[in-house]
Amino acid sequence: MKAAEFAYARALSVADAVALLAAAAGEAKLIAGGQTLVPLMAMRLARPALLVDIDGIAELNGIAMVGDTLRIGAGTRQAEIERSGLVGREVRLLALAIGHVGHGQIRNRGTIGGSIAHGDPAAELPLVAVTLGATLLTETSAGAGEISARDFYLGPMTTTLPADALITRIDLPIWRGRVGAGFHEMSPRRGDFALAAAAAQVELDGRGRCRRAVIGVGGAAPTPIACADAARLLEGRTLDDTLIAAAASAAAALTEPASDSHGSAEYRRRLTAVLVARALKDAATMARAVP
Amino acid sequence: MSEYRYVGRKRRTKEDRRFITGLGRYVADVTLPGMSHVALVLSPHPAARIGAIDTAAALALPGVQAVVTGAEIARHTNPILHGLALPGVRWYPLAVGQVRYVGEWVVAVVAASRHIAEDAAELVRVDYEPMAWVGDPEAALAPGAPLVHPDHGSNLFYRRTFVWGDVAGDFAKAHHRLASKVYWGRSATVPIETFGVVANWNRGNDLLDVWASIQMPKYPDQMAHCLRLPLNAIRVHYDVDVGGSYGVKRGIKHSVLVGYLARKLLMPVRLIEDRLENMVGGDMHGPDRRFDVTLAFDADGLIRSMKMRALDDIGCYPGRSPLQLAKPVGAIVGPYRIQSVEYEAVAVATNKTSQVAVRGFGQAPTNYAIETAIDRVAAHLGMDRLAVRRRNFIQSHEFPYRIPSGTDYDSGDYDAVLTKTVARAKLEALIARRDALRAEGRLAGIGFATCLEPSGGNGAFEPLFNPANDTTTWMESCQVKVDALGGVTATIATSTAGQGHQTLVATVTGEELGFDPDCIRVVHADSLQALPGNSPVASRMAIMLGGAAAGAARQIKERVLAIAAHNLQRPVDRLVYREGAVFDLDNELRTLNWAELVRIAHRKYHQMPPGMEPGLQASYVWEVPKGGTMPTADGRVQMYPCYSFECHIALVEIDRGTGQVAIRDWFMGHDCGTVINPDIVHGMSYGGIAHGIGAALYEEFAYDENGQLVAGSFVDYLLPSVHEIPEIALVDHCTPSPLTPMGQKGSGESGYLGAPAAVASAVNDALSPLGITIDRLPMHPSRIEQALADKRADMGEREGP
Repeated sequence: MKAAEFAYARALSVADAVALLAAAAGEAKLIAGGQTLVPLMAMRLARPALLVDIDGIAELNGIAMVGDTLRIGAGTRQAEIERSGLVGREVRLLALAIGHVGHGQIRNRGTIGGSIAHGDPAAELPLVAVTLGATLLTETSAGAGEISARDFYLGPMTTTLPADALITRIDLPIWRGRVGAGFHEMSPRRGDFALAAAAAQVELDGRGRCRRAVIGVGGAAPTPIACADAARLLEGRTLDDTLIAAAASAAAALTEPASDSHGSAEYRRRLTAVLVARALKDAATMARAVP
Repeated sequence: MSEYRYVGRKRRTKEDRRFITGLGRYVADVTLPGMSHVALVLSPHPAARIGAIDTAAALALPGVQAVVTGAEIARHTNPILHGLALPGVRWYPLAVGQVRYVGEWVVAVVAASRHIAEDAAELVRVDYEPMAWVGDPEAALAPGAPLVHPDHGSNLFYRRTFVWGDVAGDFAKAHHRLASKVYWGRSATVPIETFGVVANWNRGNDLLDVWASIQMPKYPDQMAHCLRLPLNAIRVHYDVDVGGSYGVKRGIKHSVLVGYLARKLLMPVRLIEDRLENMVGGDMHGPDRRFDVTLAFDADGLIRSMKMRALDDIGCYPGRSPLQLAKPVGAIVGPYRIQSVEYEAVAVATNKTSQVAVRGFGQAPTNYAIETAIDRVAAHLGMDRLAVRRRNFIQSHEFPYRIPSGTDYDSGDYDAVLTKTVARAKLEALIARRDALRAEGRLAGIGFATCLEPSGGNGAFEPLFNPANDTTTWMESCQVKVDALGGVTATIATSTAGQGHQTLVATVTGEELGFDPDCIRVVHADSLQALPGNSPVASRMAIMLGGAAAGAARQIKERVLAIAAHNLQRPVDRLVYREGAVFDLDNELRTLNWAELVRIAHRKYHQMPPGMEPGLQASYVWEVPKGGTMPTADGRVQMYPCYSFECHIALVEIDRGTGQVAIRDWFMGHDCGTVINPDIVHGMSYGGIAHGIGAALYEEFAYDENGQLVAGSFVDYLLPSVHEIPEIALVDHCTPSPLTPMGQKGSGESGYLGAPAAVASAVNDALSPLGITIDRLPMHPSRIEQALADKRADMGEREGP
């Protein structure tokens, strides 16, 4: 478990990073916190010719609210997001999910952009980004771009991000009003990748009916999935147990889970329904508590 | 209070400061000038003939020093010894002619760094011709099954049915009989430190120096045999800290390979397994067993007789692993007065990595099978599970108690320990909590296990399973030396894998001599200096090393008394030794202090008793108590001498939606006789319970339908973390052993021997209202949830039209 030979370059700015990426012609890999890439390299499952270290780039760090958007720099540590009062107040779903990312030591190093760019189908942060329809801001030597998180994932660890591009920022929509969120996952031990995970966010109207809702499922398909049809079932209606169960099974029907030593596909599909229902219940309870 | 001044007192261990401040010295800390590094090419096939091996590209890489194949190793070394005599089964560090499991080592690459060695290993081309293979042990026994070792002619490595007592008669007399079947999944102890070894051929002295992360009896002997060297041409340095073991740090194939390479290349060579090499091909998996147990019992819960069949999937090479079916013979009836037993032990080879000794040497799976059968008897009779246990417990006045398989249990008071633990657990309140959870619609259960830890290991299982082996000597040794300034140093003959041997020996020696253990130095000899010993296996060191240290310290006292008698002109029986000084019983003013006594011993030969050896030193080699006997023809044998007892009470809750088990409360009552150091014993128990919870719920070396190990890293092999282990309450009890100097028994396997059974008992109690039983460890959430889903489907169908 020693990495194959590689070259290393430290980028001092975003411009520097994209120039290094462009010069490497697809043979480079970005490294920030290194919590996923380093073990993959040690096992020689990843063998980049060049590592471009973006860990020290100050312009990639920071959390700010601009209007109805929460802007998080791609290099922001997961631990900083976990501790952020702004995230806790404005994007509750992210606040609920972040504590499930690995362990504290991992979150001290890992970054939000790194997790989203890596795209493990069972990872929490891609799931939150897809569920909320986050916008990913990117940069290449040719200029800036943006991609919706919902269009970003093609398969396990496969994204539409060009080889010469860097995610610079993640923009998350802030919902106002009677909003609640729920996040549940089943992992064999705390901190493991989830066998299945569910994220939900709802907004209620003055009479307690669902004004809008999003549901996302992770770990049960090649990519995290936004379950728009399942969420639509909830709109305009009261979130009672029957309705929640119907939405949960609609969400579970969208999954394409795989079987492995930790559980069969059928198990993961049933798990998805259970977790979506729990996430929706939590979201509804939280929203109802908002005056 | 205790009669002891240091033994049993809560005192800081001698080792803690070193380990906690990062001053331990592990094998990976041993670096020698010009040292080379080994990486391995692993088999991708469960069985294949090895064709051409092209090493040219690897050898051409700068920094590569050698590329070695199995054919070369087989020319220059002898096969590794097995515990059984198995013609045609030849085990070498590298595969010879064919591979027999995924991960088997095929080629070793030696290079200037581990990075380069791994680069070169990727360049080795091996032609494989895949062969038929077998992964299921029952299938491996079927006629026509692919043979793991074609030259042996069978996958059956061992089978014997023992009958102890009148099994047929007892079955005929009993009102009921009940069969159960349980499966213990493949897991192990998985230390954070993998196996590592450094070897250097000392050309000036024709001596192989070895530093290894080793816990193994007769390790130098085996290396000498395999490397075709005299035993005194190998010097194993036992002062290397071993980063965890509990049985698995055997590493014999690693050590033979590295010893061979060091001698061939005339340079220091090291192999530190990486996690993948360790888990896939390091031969470190534990028992993988199916049990069929039938109990014959009366309506009042009295169990008369037991039939047990244990079929163990031992993987590819036997090593000592089939003997893990023999060790439980010494506690085959657990703590119960079962009058007769039929025991069929079956060891089967499959195309999987080999088994090695794991904590308890087969006892934890056996205890799980017995305890599950006891729970089923209770359910069958509608009796309380603890009442059935109490009905059958051996009573405190019955010791020494001979069990049907010929072993005497030394001492115990099982009923008292259970009573104490029930009180501490407030069992009635615990049951009320379980029932309240159930009333809320949740799945909650309480588990019990009451079982034994055989300790003080002799190797009686070897002659029992292998008539060609007549070893009955299982000694341990200690040397105690008093230097010219009166300082005391004890030397032990083994390395330490976290058991706290320095604390043990210092405490016992300090107790005997009346000196603060902090002042006593304890060092590890190397294998050429060491007196004979058998390493810290089989929960034996508190007993055996403690006994050896006490024996040596007592000799020191005798010498001191003799010197004093000569100088005070008094008969020895009128003198008394206290804290280093000798007093005349008839006149306390007549005394010689420690400094004076030591000075006489070291410097004043004219004041020494005539004929007495100068200096002040003693060594003691102690044979295991009740050792030295061979098994009878019908397979009765005195297995280990001392029997510790533990009982577990656990409350668990199962998440209906996910199948996940959460442990809410855990209590363990424990009687291991006299405790030498409470923190060390409690630490063993906490770790043992965590290990048992891992085996019961999380850890499994699972293979897929292609013979590939799917749990080859910590991503898939799930060790429980601090999040999964509950707070544990330990309840201590002491029934001294009559066989040991201070009444101590073993505790190195405590917790682990009963925890898996207790988890299973609790989970099955939680599921009992639904009529579900789970009979397979580990109880993965998916297995539990599947059973719940099947039950729902079943109920739905019945409720349907």
